[in-house]
Amino acid sequence: MLGLFKRATPVADACELGRTAVALPLYSGCGMPPGCPVVVVDGRGSTRRPAPAKRIELREGELAFAFHPGPYTVDLQPFAQAPEIGLRTSFAIDNLDPNAAHHRFDLYLASEVAGRLALDALAGAVEAAVQRELREGGLDLPPCATIEEWNAFRLGLNQLLYMRFGLSVDDCVPVDLGASRDYAAMLVARAQACPAQAAAAPARVCAFDAAEPTLVDARALRRLFLELPGVMCGLRLAALPASPEQFRQQQALLQRLDLLCVGASTMPALGLAAPGQPLHIDEQLRRARHSRRATASLDEAWALLARLKGASPDLLAPLYDECDRIVANLEADCAGRRCPREEVAA
Amino acid sequence: MSTAGVAMVECRSVLPDGSLLTVTAARRPRAGRAEVKCQAPGDTRLPERMQEVVRLARHTETRFDSRDQVVISIDRVPAASDRDWELAVVLADRMVRGLWQAPRAAVVANGWSDAWHLGRIEGHAVQDAPPGTLLGGPDGLAHLGQLAGHPDRAASVSSARAWFPLHAGGAADSLCWVEVSVHPLSQGRDEGPADEEQTIAVPGQDAARQLAVRQALAGAREFDGRAAGRWRTTVRFGESGFQGRSFELALVLADRMARGREFLPRARLIATGQSQAWHAGQVDTVEGVAPKCALLLREAAPGDRILLPQAWQAALPEGFGERLRALGASVACVERIGII
Repeated sequence: MLGLFKRATPVADACELGRTAVALPLYSGCGMPPGCPVVVVDGRGSTRRPAPAKRIELREGELAFAFHPGPYTVDLQPFAQAPEIGLRTSFAIDNLDPNAAHHRFDLYLASEVAGRLALDALAGAVEAAVQRELREGGLDLPPCATIEEWNAFRLGLNQLLYMRFGLSVDDCVPVDLGASRDYAAMLVARAQACPAQAAAAPARVCAFDAAEPTLVDARALRRLFLELPGVMCGLRLAALPASPEQFRQQQALLQRLDLLCVGASTMPALGLAAPGQPLHIDEQLRRARHSRRATASLDEAWALLARLKGASPDLLAPLYDECDRIVANLEADCAGRRCPREEVAA
Repeated sequence: MSTAGVAMVECRSVLPDGSLLTVTAARRPRAGRAEVKCQAPGDTRLPERMQEVVRLARHTETRFDSRDQVVISIDRVPAASDRDWELAVVLADRMVRGLWQAPRAAVVANGWSDAWHLGRIEGHAVQDAPPGTLLGGPDGLAHLGQLAGHPDRAASVSSARAWFPLHAGGAADSLCWVEVSVHPLSQGRDEGPADEEQTIAVPGQDAARQLAVRQALAGAREFDGRAAGRWRTTVRFGESGFQGRSFELALVLADRMARGREFLPRARLIATGQSQAWHAGQVDTVEGVAPKCALLLREAAPGDRILLPQAWQAALPEGFGERLRALGASVACVERIGII
């Protein structure tokens, strides 16, 4: 039978879309949930949005997601040390122009999402990006912020979320989370849980080392491969140079990013020191650590592009320096990922 | 090489016999070498430990720069059991990369830790250190975030510092810190004290100051309406010989930061102001606009946040805000505390 008259299978958990889930994976033969755009990611990682149809048909190696455009409302915690103050942010997924060639959100789905994208996971990623920018000074939200400072923060937040995730922020207001989060109780729990080494930043590192290095490394390399061209494109568009000197800087940066792209797409296999020679597990972990750090640099690069977009010409010089730092870090980590054993150098 | 930071810094540490050891940190382009290189005269074990300490302490930083190599050298070799130099090495590594600006030119620091990766400093061994020495440990610098007054994310006691300007007739003007530490009170078991003021301790201050601190904090907590009976509080001041109530705004904001209810500045929070009505969150004016502004311009460092009473807005010196912004600090004149 050709299956022409087969009914479309309904998507599992489709009613969660728009509530606890932002995007769900679709399989060949599934019906498209109404009102939810579909993104198809092909084997090489490029994305397209197919026209609405009864059923979705996928070719070999393709993945499809259906996402709900929102709006969603989440409480973000802008500072890790201040759990009782939050930002109630509502955002929607940019869906205005269905014919645009590249949506940032599609790239996010293709490169970072495996399977289902829960709203909690997306909110966690957004929160981490905001906290990082606040610590590093890319965004500023000081105590007793005046209305001008708040507006500047909002502008920066809008840019950051659009550049990094493809989300457009509808509204964001500071809220008192004291009713739902009790800092005193959290501190008591922290003291009881583990008096010697509480859950601080290195917890992340430990959790990673225990995980499967192959999987972590493969995800990181996928991100590098898919997102580096996007970063290059963004740098070309966002950072319009103000002087011949900056033009040369920009060209040099683009050239180095180009080499990084080539490097990322020809990365040697994690478990092999040379063809047919397996690599020791410690070295595999080291390689995976490098690729994970490279993805942290990618996050920084997207945040920097958001800052570049609104920057006035006299502020460009420090941002170009920051760009240079990020590209240098990427180069160092890609080189570390490539070489089979750690070089000992003084 | 990155443009932030300086080419070379020195940091000292007191040895058990009272003499000083000097740690020198220099920055140069990395050129494919290790990110930290350590040197000590005639010793191979000490540089390894130095490198380990620096690498562990860098775990608490978010920003990584692969373009620089930091070369740290120590001019004498302390005894094998002596670990009091560790804090000096960590601070030198931060200073040379511009992550921390020392308030005074010559930094003397003593402290050791087994948990540098958490940013904690567990103690110091030196007994009779000269005044002005940064001493690690629970009674001094307990974790690296404290250099900017921030609460420790990993501790079960939350403490935050804010600074306020002291006017002592020109040359002796200085910034003084106030630190608020809050411990969670277990509710129910000991039926927390009914009176918020009874849970606030101000050791080492006279009765009038204690009363002023208690009233200000109790009033400000009434304003945000969520703290009653949840915390046991200890307030400490950097020094005690000062007059007036202009510390109140700094005190109230440090309390809010410690209780996790205030946005955090990137570096220090410097505030001056008092109030007749903390329960309404109102900020009243204090005296000494001109000398305090001059002091703030001298002391401000990148990332600092300066809060002044609203009444000062008209009286600020010409170009005050712009000059602070050029230093990387930000200033606001506030009428009320709280969010926006």
